[in-house]
Parts: sequence; C-alpha cells; structure tokens
Amino acid sequence: MQRSLSAEDARFQAEMREFMTTQVPQELRDKVTAGVELTKEEFVRSQRILNAAGYAVPHWPAEWGGRDWTPRQLHIWQSEMQSAGVPALLPFNVSMVGPVIATFGSEEQKERFLPATANLDIWWCQGFSEPDAGSDLASLRTTAVRDGDEWVVNGQKTWTTMAQHADWIFALVRTDPSAKKQEGISFLLIDMTSPGVEVRPIQLLDGGHEVNEVFFTDVRVPAENLVGEENRGWDYAKFLLGNERSGIAAVGALKRHLARIKSYAARVTDENGESVLGHPLVAARVAELEAELMALEVTVLRVAGHSHDGKPDPASSILKIRATQLQQDVLELAVDVAGSMSLVWLIEDDAAGEIEEDAVIPGWARRSTPTYLNFRKASIYGGSNEVQRQIIAGSVLGLKG
Amino acid sequence: MDFTLDSEHKALADAVREMASRRGARPSANGAGPRPHDPDLWSAMAETGLLGLPFREEAGGFGASAVEVFVAARELGRAGLQSAYADALLAGSVLADAGDDLLGSAVAGEALVLPALAEPMRAFAPVPGGVTATITGEGAVLSGTKGPVPTGAAATHAVVTARIDEEGAGGSTSGETVLVLLDGPRVENDVMVLDGASGRILLRGADADRALVDALAHASVVLAGQALGAMESAMTMTSDYLRTRKQFGVPLAAFQALTHRAADMYVSLELARSTAMYLAMSVAEGDTDPALVGRCRVVLARTGRHIGQEAIQLHGGIGVTAEYAVGHLTAMLTAIERTYGDPRQLLGRLAADVADYDTVGVLT
Repeated sequence: MQRSLSAEDARFQAEMREFMTTQVPQELRDKVTAGVELTKEEFVRSQRILNAAGYAVPHWPAEWGGRDWTPRQLHIWQSEMQSAGVPALLPFNVSMVGPVIATFGSEEQKERFLPATANLDIWWCQGFSEPDAGSDLASLRTTAVRDGDEWVVNGQKTWTTMAQHADWIFALVRTDPSAKKQEGISFLLIDMTSPGVEVRPIQLLDGGHEVNEVFFTDVRVPAENLVGEENRGWDYAKFLLGNERSGIAAVGALKRHLARIKSYAARVTDENGESVLGHPLVAARVAELEAELMALEVTVLRVAGHSHDGKPDPASSILKIRATQLQQDVLELAVDVAGSMSLVWLIEDDAAGEIEEDAVIPGWARRSTPTYLNFRKASIYGGSNEVQRQIIAGSVLGLKG
Repeated sequence: MDFTLDSEHKALADAVREMASRRGARPSANGAGPRPHDPDLWSAMAETGLLGLPFREEAGGFGASAVEVFVAARELGRAGLQSAYADALLAGSVLADAGDDLLGSAVAGEALVLPALAEPMRAFAPVPGGVTATITGEGAVLSGTKGPVPTGAAATHAVVTARIDEEGAGGSTSGETVLVLLDGPRVENDVMVLDGASGRILLRGADADRALVDALAHASVVLAGQALGAMESAMTMTSDYLRTRKQFGVPLAAFQALTHRAADMYVSLELARSTAMYLAMSVAEGDTDPALVGRCRVVLARTGRHIGQEAIQLHGGIGVTAEYAVGHLTAMLTAIERTYGDPRQLLGRLAADVADYDTVGVLT
C-alpha cells in the first residue's frame, strides 16, 4: 500500500493541471464553475480542444485515440478536468457509445463513427428508456423489423437527454419478439435526420429543456448500423451502463462545487454581520460533507483499477449510489446557504448564459433551488439507486429470495 | 495511490487470524461490555510481534509501519477481540518519541504501558486540563483525576497528560503540556486518582504536543483497522443470516425491505474500507495531520454506527443477546467511535478551519 503519487504520476498531474487551466478558455470554465448551462457550441468547442490534444478519449483503445493510461492516470485526468471547471466531455459519446462501438462494433463502424464521436462532430443521444420500460429496461417495446437491407423501427423512447442537439441516437430495439425479454434486444445506431424520427421536449421542474421524447414511425435504418450481433444488445447495454455509473461519480466536480458554496457562505452574513460560513451548523455541515467526499474519492481511487471485461463492476453501483447522495446533499447546502434568496429563481432560458455573480441577488442564489430540484434526477437516472441496491444485494451479497 | 496488500501483509494477517482464532471472545457476566486485560492474549500478541510493529528498530520496535498495524488490527476486529492494542501503541509512540528505554519491555509484553488521557466529566481532548503537574527537576508531581483508564488496573506504567501549573525548572511555562511516566499507577474502578503522584517527565511543551499528535494518529490506525474488521464480520454475519433464516416459509433474503438495507450497509463498508486503508497509508508515510485523521475517524464512526445498528436490526432478537457475536461487534464499534474523541469533537475541530482552504486533496 502506498499513498503518495509516484514521481511520474505527479508529473502527469502537473501536466494535466497546466493544460486544463490554460488551454480551455476561462470564460467556459467560469460558466461551468458557476453552474451556468452551456450551449451546444460551447460543449463542442471545449471537446474539440481536448480531442486535438489527445485528452478527449484516453480510455478508448489506442488505435482510436486511447492513450493506454493507468487507471490512476485516468482518475487524475478526470479530476483535473473537473477541478478546473472544464465543460464535461459528452458522456453519450466518450463513455457510452464510443466504448461500445470500439469493443463490439465492426471495422466499418469504428472507422465511420469513432473519430467523429471523439471530436463531437457527431452528437449522440441515448435511446434506452421507454414509457413502460424504466427500471425494467428489458421490457422495452420499440421494435426493429428486418426488411431487405434495412431495419424498420417503430416505437417511442423517453428521457432522451439533449436529443434536441443530437445527430445520432444509439437505441435498444426489440429484434426478436418471441425470445425471453433480455435475449431479443439489439443495439442500433439511428440517424436523427431519418424520416419518421420526431423529438418532443419535456419541460423539467427547473423550467429547463434537457430531456425529450423521441418517436419512431417506420424509420428505415441501414442493416449495417446494428452493432455487434443481432439479439445481443442487452449485453452491450450492461457494459455501457457500468461505464455510465462509474462516470456519475464526478468527485472533482463535487469538490469544486462545495468549494464554491463555501465561498458563497463566506459572503452571506447573519444578523450580527458575521459570515454564515462561521456559523457552527454551516461549518459542521461543510466539514461533514468534506469528510464524506474524501471517503468517496479514495473509494473511486481504490476501485478504479478493477476491470471486468464486458461486465458491469458491482463497484460502479456503490459509487453511483454514494456519489448521487452526496451530490444531492451538496446542492441542498447551496439552497440552505442562499436562504431567503433561494425563493427567487433564475431560469436558464432568461439568463442567456450569464453568471450574474454581482447581481443584487446573485445568480448562484437564484440558481440554487432549480438546480437542487433538477438534481433529484441523479438518484433516478443511470439505473435508480434502488436498482443499484438490487444489483449489490444480488451480485455482491448473494441475497436472492 | 496503491491499495494492494502484498504477500507479507497477507502472511501477517494469516498469523494474527490464527492467533485470534485460538482466543475467541470468552463468556462474560457483563454481556458485550468491557473485558479486563487478558494476559494470555497479550503474550500471544507480543509473540506475534504486534506490539512493536510501527516503531523503529533503534527504539526497540520492529521497523514495520502503520500499514502493518492496520493489517493486524483488522484481524483483531474481525475476531471481535477486545484488547489494549490501540492504547499500547499510543503510549509506545510517546515512549519512542521520548527515546525512552521502557519501549523495549513494552514491545516484549513484559511491561504494560497505557496512556491516561481522559478525565471524568470533561469532553475529550488530548490534554483535557483538569490534571496539573508541578515540575520538580526531572520529575513532576501530579494532581487531579484521570479516568476512565480502561484495563488500567493491569498497567505497570502509565503515560499521563497534564498541564504545567506554575513556572518551573527548564524554562517550562504554565499551561504547557507535559507527558509524565508513572511507575506502578494505581487504578481503581477505572479511575486514577493522582493526588501527589510523582513520575518522570517524558516530553513537554511543543515536543509533547507533537508527540501526542503522532501517537493519536497511530492509535487511530489501530481503531480504524479494528472498526473495519468488526464491520466486515458484521456484514458477513448479516448476509449469511438473511440467506439462511426463514420466515413466512422463505429466506429473509426474499424481502427487499431487508436486502436493500443490507446493500446500504455494503456501501458503507466499502467507504470504510477505503478510508481505513487511506489513513494507514497516510500515517505510514508520516502524515499525522489531525485534520486528515479526524476526517477518516468521522467517516469510520458513521459507517460503523450504520453497519452496527443495521446488523442487529436485520438479525432480529438474536442480535441483542449476549450469546450471539453480532451485538458484540456493534458494542465494539460503539466504543471505538468514542475512543480518543468522538464525532462531535472531531467535527468541531474540522469545522473551525473550513474557511481556511478551498478543497480537501487526497492525491498528493
């Protein structure tokens, strides 16, 4: 056992810090740090800067832009990106569909999609959940029926994050209705401009437009867009979901967020003119969350080296549960610190991306409640925390009724 | 950061597990309560080399580190064995810092040197302030009362924390910390009444404060290892029980109301595991920062409380009986949480400094 970074890793950390804090534009990082919603163009701009430097998809196979970094280096890379406030790499691209295509796709699919996916020339969205297939994802009903060289897709997806920006969707579709439910599913890549694809927005509690319903009516998809083997889509989905869950534990971003809240609390004063950060209850809550975050971070570091080829690591369930609980706790603290200022809301559409740090009632205070409410989603998405508990109970503890 | 245990660590764990398995918890009239000192267990721990693990060979130790201490303590915790291990390493660390020869016999298990820090009706602090020392050349005369001093009745020596109460020889200043070694301390009913007791000065002033910080960090590694071991055993016992115990004609594992709670226990266990190992690695590399130790202890207190309480609840009635081990593990976790401070005191110290930095770094 050893705590200290090796000289090589310390050098690596310094390199990452230097790049992230000097090469990614400050105005983008300031927005991220302040919790301002970015435009599509801003996400694309940032990801292309990273991709040009080889920092967008280091975890992919070397042939497709991977860097063969150690799990520890990958952790350092992520945490330096997050601490610097670098806009998130689009998870649908870099941690979801990219690794699936790289692992299970054909050579043609890899050449066609991977470079464009890494560079965000293609914006992907995820077509998994359906109105009647939430936690019970395998009961999905969107069908793909083979017709010559094409699949004909009919059905509906929902909770499709940023589908309004997407060029392509990777979708789970039922290709064998007679098979057991997990065994008749395939993984299909669908061009969002295909005739018969319709995107309808779902407005969320914070007033924002982030998720959508996606309808497929006789959408014709070339047969070569099916990834891997027909009816093996569930295996690829499990592989993808394991990666998704691990990615949810964005410890660096959480630490940065808590540091921001401390700086806000230092500026808000109580009835005696003292900063509320000095109030025992606020300070104790901060200290508590810092300790819990430390425990999460060292756990991420400890399990980062585990690789479970093609199978979700049960550790990803632990990280998903704990990281989302802490994320919600941190965001709740922001509302508490904002106090009565949290009663007024800043809706992103009105703000036009402004931070409004110096407003009379500052932007962070007006964003605190909508953000807090929005992130109740965290314990629901990526497999609800109850589904994660079911996975832990069954596959780690062997508790089956 | 590397969390791998190597073959030597595994061999040490095997040796301690073997030693512990021959000395299962003995029946006691006070349920899961505190046990008196067990000289046989103590000799076995000395023979296995546990008492000298973290101390330099020149000082009479075995030149291993806090990582080995963690490995050994975890096995003691898994077996649910109560002992003065944390206390002995705390006192040993002070002796090592003071360059005192007594460490050799403590490591050999011949002398039992225990710390006396706590004071009745005072919240925990390394030097709570009720015991004072008057300096008399190389020695000090103590007054006040220490307690509780667990297993203190068996101690051959005690390391007592006190505050100097007047200007004395050697430039010492009133209010400074002094660490005094008492030979043959008298402990009755867990209390050490010190009126007029005199002993040798080990360290004083800033040296004493620094030594206490290091000693508390080493003892905290023991507590962390024991807590993790106890949590691991409680988790295993609970899973086994849910799989085998039947009600309504089915195993308890058929009820999600129970299995989801077990899953949450497992989340706590994994956090505790990383945290205990991180603390051990940090102390092994010389980082005894009280803030780091405090954060780790807060996490271990919370996870230990969660796992201990749930382990009893998921077992049902058998969990609160003296004959069944799971409640003993919970009692041990309850005691560890309040040894050398408690979450309130630890969080209070952390809270006082939160405005002084942005984030807590772990990758250094």
